[in-house]
Amino acid sequence: MTAENTASQAAVHENLFLPREAKIIHTSRPTASEKHFTLQLADRSAFEFVPGQILEVGVMGFGESPIGIASSPTRPDSFDIVVRTVGRVTTAINSKEVGDSLWIRGPLGHGFDLDELRGHSVLIVAGGIGLCPTRSLIQYILDRRDEFGRFTLFYGARDPLQLLFTEDRVEWRGSRLMDYHETVDRADATWTGNVGVIPTLFHKTTDIDPDTRVVICGPPIMFKYVLVELDKLGIPRENIFVDLERRMKCGVGKCGHCQINDKYCCIDGPVFTFAKIWELEEAI
Amino acid sequence: MGAFFIEEREFGPLVDRLRESTRVIGPVAKRQKFVFAELESADDLRLDYDVTILPPKKIFFPPKQQIVQFDATTVEDCIHPVDTVLLGVHFYDVKGIDMTDFLLRERFEDWNYLAQREATTIVASNVQSISPRAFWGSVGRDVHPKGHDAYLTKLDDGYVFETYTPKGEALLKFGTFREATAEELKIVVKVNTEAMDKCAELLPYSSADIAKKVRESFGNEELWDELAMDCFSCGSCNLVCPTCYCFDVRDSWNIDQTTGQRTRYWDACMTREFAAVTMAGGQKENFREHHSSRFRHRFMRKAAYLYEKLGGPACTGCGRCSAACTANIADPVRVINAIMGVTA
Repeated sequence: MTAENTASQAAVHENLFLPREAKIIHTSRPTASEKHFTLQLADRSAFEFVPGQILEVGVMGFGESPIGIASSPTRPDSFDIVVRTVGRVTTAINSKEVGDSLWIRGPLGHGFDLDELRGHSVLIVAGGIGLCPTRSLIQYILDRRDEFGRFTLFYGARDPLQLLFTEDRVEWRGSRLMDYHETVDRADATWTGNVGVIPTLFHKTTDIDPDTRVVICGPPIMFKYVLVELDKLGIPRENIFVDLERRMKCGVGKCGHCQINDKYCCIDGPVFTFAKIWELEEAI
Repeated sequence: MGAFFIEEREFGPLVDRLRESTRVIGPVAKRQKFVFAELESADDLRLDYDVTILPPKKIFFPPKQQIVQFDATTVEDCIHPVDTVLLGVHFYDVKGIDMTDFLLRERFEDWNYLAQREATTIVASNVQSISPRAFWGSVGRDVHPKGHDAYLTKLDDGYVFETYTPKGEALLKFGTFREATAEELKIVVKVNTEAMDKCAELLPYSSADIAKKVRESFGNEELWDELAMDCFSCGSCNLVCPTCYCFDVRDSWNIDQTTGQRTRYWDACMTREFAAVTMAGGQKENFREHHSSRFRHRFMRKAAYLYEKLGGPACTGCGRCSAACTANIADPVRVINAIMGVTA
């Protein structure tokens, strides 16, 4: 029967769920709950991706979690992820050390539209762990600074102990390549910087013109308040890009958990043009 | 391809010869209901069934399927299709398979499904008895069933066997067939056409009108709260649906504690935590928190979101969800007719 031929041929097709081994070459603990990993593919092949794309990061026997890539493809020797311990899988990932392996699938999804950002001023608004996927774009812009106009970064965290990428922030603060502002919702005794939610940072600069391209990534509650400020500045919604979080379980648009209306966050996003989704119920 | 006839008394031997050559799955009785199961004898085959508890999707997309296996250092896939003849699929389930074929192939090909699908020969059969909850006569009438390899129609003294593909044609050598006569083919058309008007339940609207009106109803919270009021969020409607394909993925270890597998399980968008993500401090952010938004999501998917992609509704009219629903509210005929009756 012809079925016999098709059965044997089928085995040569790629299994979407087969992960690749990545070796951990460096780790750090920026906060009590987050761990920063630097990875290389075990077969040392090049890892190509676009800022904003995600990985399914797993430990065999525990499962996978969707994690944004936290470094830029302009730094190709390795790639970074930052994982927050929230459940069983992320606890297993964060127990891994240098020399151990993680099993990854990806890059997956639709990243930042670099062609839409090039040639324009860029504002990135990152809240909490939302700084991790946007760090990929931040590094990209800093590495190809001539391709972009004015570059502003707003970063906010709940309290000083939650702030990520200490070394990066020291560099960003002193950098003439970018305008960096940070804030915390609640200060502690050592904190001398801004206190308040992220939208308050819009009062710290007058440099954002209506032609600026804006990238937002953070907890769902943050989007609405940032949009109020962007409306005041007259920034049109087609120039706003949002990086959304959903339960992207399979990462390939099948399992259904990350559906937003008729879109799949994992393959249609996680980066969406705000103009395209702001009328979609359940999106923001 | 061709149209053939096989006498009633030759049909059992055909099935048994097929069984000697390959795995044959078909409708069999299970207490008062029917299920698709591997035939242990031609006598088990019940082509007079009305509807099976689960659709035949489970052959290609099992409720529980290993997708990778691992040991301490390696990870391998486990795609091992088994050559299969799937007998006696009603046309509405052929439509369902055609939809999951498309959905699991589009953009990213899922060979965990497609490998078994390609290794399967599908022989559809005409509907001899009709489930009381069926409404396949009126839903997606302009969507023609395709993807099956052959079609059986029961006549008084035997079956007409129409072949559509080489896979269907390949089955001829297992039985004693002759060419079907023009008169027999006329009866085939009559039998299959007349069945379409025999469902007790009816959706008297075009799929395009339904898609539009359902989509427009999204913001009508009051309507959706009312329609979903008694929903238990149990997911039974999802689990029996021929076009549902959501899944969860879980890892497990073998007893040696070094090897194990990653397994996908059917999941259901009606269940409470389906769209929830865990945030800092273990808090949940649930993107469809209320049961009415989950109920609405299911109908949006079936009637509106997938409509353009599939060229018709993601509903075959099998009526399984209507029958499976504990609260008796999932019935698409009830829900869609209520939505269509709303005057804006």
